[in-house]
Amino acid sequence: MDKNPYLPRTAKIVDIEDEVGGPRAIKTFRTQFVVNNSFSFLSGQCAMVSVFGKGEAMFSISSTPLVKDYLQFSVMKMGKVTSALHDLQVGDIVGIRGPYGNNFPLDSWRGKNLVFIAGGIGLAPLWSVIQTVLRKRDEYGRLTLFYGARTSDDLVFKREIEELKSQMTVLLSVDAAEPGWTEFIGFVPNNVLDKKPSPDNAIAMTCGPPIMIKFTINNLRELGFRDEHVYTTVENKMKCGVGKCGRCNIGVHYVCKNGPVYSWAELNRLPPEF
Amino acid sequence: MEKILPKKSFLEWMKRLAAYDIFAPALQDEIWNYELVRSPAAIDMNFLLPVVPPKKIIFPQVETLFEFRTSESGMPEIRDILPESKPAVIFGVRPCDARAFIFLDAVFDGDFKDVYYFQRRNQTVLVGLMCVTPPSSGCFCLSVGGAPHSRDGLDILMTDMGETYFIEAATEKGNKLFESAKHLFKEPKTLDIQELKNIKSESEKKIARQIKNIENVSEKLKKMFDSPFWDEESRSCLKCGICTYLCPTCHCFDMNDEVESPFPLKGKRVRTWDTCQFPDFTMHTSGHNPRPDKAARLRQRIMHKFQYFVENYQRYLCTGCGRCITKCPVGIDIVDILNKVETHG
Repeated sequence: MDKNPYLPRTAKIVDIEDEVGGPRAIKTFRTQFVVNNSFSFLSGQCAMVSVFGKGEAMFSISSTPLVKDYLQFSVMKMGKVTSALHDLQVGDIVGIRGPYGNNFPLDSWRGKNLVFIAGGIGLAPLWSVIQTVLRKRDEYGRLTLFYGARTSDDLVFKREIEELKSQMTVLLSVDAAEPGWTEFIGFVPNNVLDKKPSPDNAIAMTCGPPIMIKFTINNLRELGFRDEHVYTTVENKMKCGVGKCGRCNIGVHYVCKNGPVYSWAELNRLPPEF
Repeated sequence: MEKILPKKSFLEWMKRLAAYDIFAPALQDEIWNYELVRSPAAIDMNFLLPVVPPKKIIFPQVETLFEFRTSESGMPEIRDILPESKPAVIFGVRPCDARAFIFLDAVFDGDFKDVYYFQRRNQTVLVGLMCVTPPSSGCFCLSVGGAPHSRDGLDILMTDMGETYFIEAATEKGNKLFESAKHLFKEPKTLDIQELKNIKSESEKKIARQIKNIENVSEKLKKMFDSPFWDEESRSCLKCGICTYLCPTCHCFDMNDEVESPFPLKGKRVRTWDTCQFPDFTMHTSGHNPRPDKAARLRQRIMHKFQYFVENYQRYLCTGCGRCITKCPVGIDIVDILNKVETHG
């Protein structure tokens, strides 16, 4: 009998972290499977998370595959499923199926300098990569994180980022001036242009709002980064997660299966429909 | 295997297929549709193109994938609901609709095999009826690699020869349908075989509609993504989605939870047909929509069938049944569109 691709496994929420408050609150959930707590995936891959009775949505896994104890998802409260997730408590049960999609090609980036560029909740998919490379620190070159949000209250993983500062270069930004802020003031792409990361032997990854990605790409080009060395993740509405239900395609590519990780060079070859 | 079945023996054959659920076209309110046959005597093989293609039997419009409920321990538990496993025969499948199953097989197979689809597919025998005359004014099967007498996807093809049916069995599944009724069938004579050949070649001449130079369409479409052509062609679209719901090859679906009781939780996850022609099909929760207007959605329908699918599966996702043409309330015509694409730019 073939495996049923639509059947989730039940998993227990073992930890909830409040990241950001307000109407578009962000929480980070850690889950463990009820039976056989193992799940094989790679950084960049996603999973379908169910709140039974509300539905299912696709999230990038923000933990590293090198930590086997739990899966981590950072979720912004936006619609039906994400709002239901935000109402859950530690000990509640969700459904998880996956992993889905492709991954950041970390193996082929050994020895390279990595530049992470994220805005808002866009840090979540990159967080898995950061946690993975930090655990294999000697395999990679210089590590730099550009991260920004509208205000300092909108930054996720605040405590963890403080800890990161001893292991990699962290360059934070907020969109507008605020009392006590000592780092860059302005949009993330401007911070990148201001600090001028070197394109030599480097890979850049950028995740965040579409407009941020657009300006980041432009600025990276200006700094000499080639499109095949710049990676991003694409988001689309998904239902099946397995390349059949027909709504997440960009041309011949189903983002759930062929994506979500693309180099900018690959995206340029697809029709401009995302 | 080739056999001749006298029409008067057809009912007798049906009666011997009691082990199967039998589906056949039935006329209700002046509309032909595939229905479960209660009495074999009710089968009428003089039908036109059924409105809903037989994909609805293998891939139902609504189907439960699994149930969830709060168990005694207070934890939600899940139980998958796979289709019941009774073998079925669909009689009177049009060759275009049978070919569609080959395309659907490709979609539902692969890395993540759709167990629901294949559970039904594997135990359903498809018995086709050749289109001696086109069953619809929209027919254009010849343009997309099909034919009124195509056996692609069929287990058996029947051809109406007047007093008899010429029966061609193409698969092991098809051969099995004769086992319990061998005495009803005769061997075809040379004359029967000659007549079948004539009927087949005549049938092709009766297909009126044609896409010219379809082999150029896929490459043309690649260059038309940003063309104002799509605005023009989609202007009259009402976003009703009938073109996709009645398409034998369209397979897009939605998955949603239906709740019977919130406390204690009891409900099910349900899959339903969906369509790329609805605005919210691709709309993100943020409100952003990668296909924001009718033009983008018509483009997706045409591109998927004649460019993306060709690239991914080396065939058109269209069998030329013409339902999307004859049933469109505003007369959007896929043959006209593709002929315009072919001469575009």
